[in-house]
Amino acid sequence: MLHGLYSAAAGMAAQQQRIDSVADDLSNVSTTGYKPARVAFRDLVYADGPRGGSPGVLVGSGSASTVVGRSMRQGPVEQTDQPLDVALEGPGFLQVRLADGRQALTRDGQLRADSQGRLTLHTGELVDPVIRIPAGGDAGKVAIAPDGQVTLDGRRLGQLRLVDVAAPNGLDGGPGNTFVPSAASGPIRAAAATTTVRQGALEGSGVDTAAAFADMIEAQRGFEFASKAIHTQDQLLEIANGVKR
Amino acid sequence: MDRGLYIAASGMLAEQVRQDQLANDLSNATTPGYKADRATQASFGDLLLADRTSGRVIGPLGTGVRITGQVTDLRPAALKQTDEPLDLAIEGEGFFLVRTPQGERFTRNGRFTALPDGTLGDQLGNQVLGPDRRPVRLQPDGTVRAQDVGAFNVPNAVKAGEGQFTGAAAGAAPGTVRTGALETSGVEAARTMVDMMASLRAFEAGQRAITTIDETLKQAAQQVGNLTG
Repeated sequence: MLHGLYSAAAGMAAQQQRIDSVADDLSNVSTTGYKPARVAFRDLVYADGPRGGSPGVLVGSGSASTVVGRSMRQGPVEQTDQPLDVALEGPGFLQVRLADGRQALTRDGQLRADSQGRLTLHTGELVDPVIRIPAGGDAGKVAIAPDGQVTLDGRRLGQLRLVDVAAPNGLDGGPGNTFVPSAASGPIRAAAATTTVRQGALEGSGVDTAAAFADMIEAQRGFEFASKAIHTQDQLLEIANGVKR
Repeated sequence: MDRGLYIAASGMLAEQVRQDQLANDLSNATTPGYKADRATQASFGDLLLADRTSGRVIGPLGTGVRITGQVTDLRPAALKQTDEPLDLAIEGEGFFLVRTPQGERFTRNGRFTALPDGTLGDQLGNQVLGPDRRPVRLQPDGTVRAQDVGAFNVPNAVKAGEGQFTGAAAGAAPGTVRTGALETSGVEAARTMVDMMASLRAFEAGQRAITTIDETLKQAAQQVGNLTG
């Protein structure tokens, strides 16, 4: 008798997860290199219904949602004219090294030079392999070529490594705006040759505010539908209770 | 007389099954590629009543109803543009084919992902297959070409849960695969809500019938043969 009550509750939980995920996206609407989450829905198992149906009458158990990674669509490239800002155009990531020694990936190209002249992300992760601006060198004169080659006054300092994985949606979240490869993403490999670096620009957040709000509204309505089903199930129970006065 | 009690109760039980199916539909009001169920209802065989003393036939008497099955409305629903390279939809009829541990399954839920070996997978990590039933290889830029993904005609698809259907593929589907779009849920929310209200009232009517019969029984037990009444 309580089957429908629980399938409706499952539907509410699924919509709740989506609302949480859209809220997360909306709060990152101006985070450089942010990639919005993709939420997938599915129905659940079908089992024999309660008495009142012939054998073989199946009743579903509601719905479930899962986050199936992030949308890797290109975000808007915004001109900043800062010499150490880079934006990637095309699929791929910059390779950085985390404080714990693991390699990580990012599309947040707000670079800066640390006290030793090494290029790092603004959150402190070192660019991997290390690129060092020599002492006395003017960071404002650093030139970064579309292939990632970093030069200062014509002298080669190093190369920003552009990498990718087979399944970017399988990447785990790392500290800051970084991603860490996992078994689901596959190992780090070189990015497609078509991917280029643009100096003096940043990739904005991939969140499309209008689409995110539309998603939010749809999720809210879905939540309401499921809660109406719960309410009706409750009314059924109340009526059934009224059989015996 | 007490037969009426059980007939009314059978109606209530049938409405409960219907409500459970409607609750599942509403739960999936935003599930891409979901197909709504419609309950089919039938009465039990009628009884022929006859007068026990004279043998005169009085007429048939229904013995209640039950839900005998469900029909899944497999008609294609509207597509929703998402511009997400790994969101796929079939415009028109047809199903995607996925390879699961339980065997081949069909789905119209095209929120796909990339698998670590560079092939296309569904949300549960099952491989999506191409027209030649081979895994679909992604392009170097992480997108997928619509013509690489198979769409199969499955005449008698049966829901299997987890967004999947079972059935036998009978050649290529008449529909075409599109990328950057998802099929919306087949649940018409307004209609489902109306069905739910109607069913609730039918349930209530069954309850009223029971209480009325109970009232009649009470009269029979308490008043008939009451000398002082």
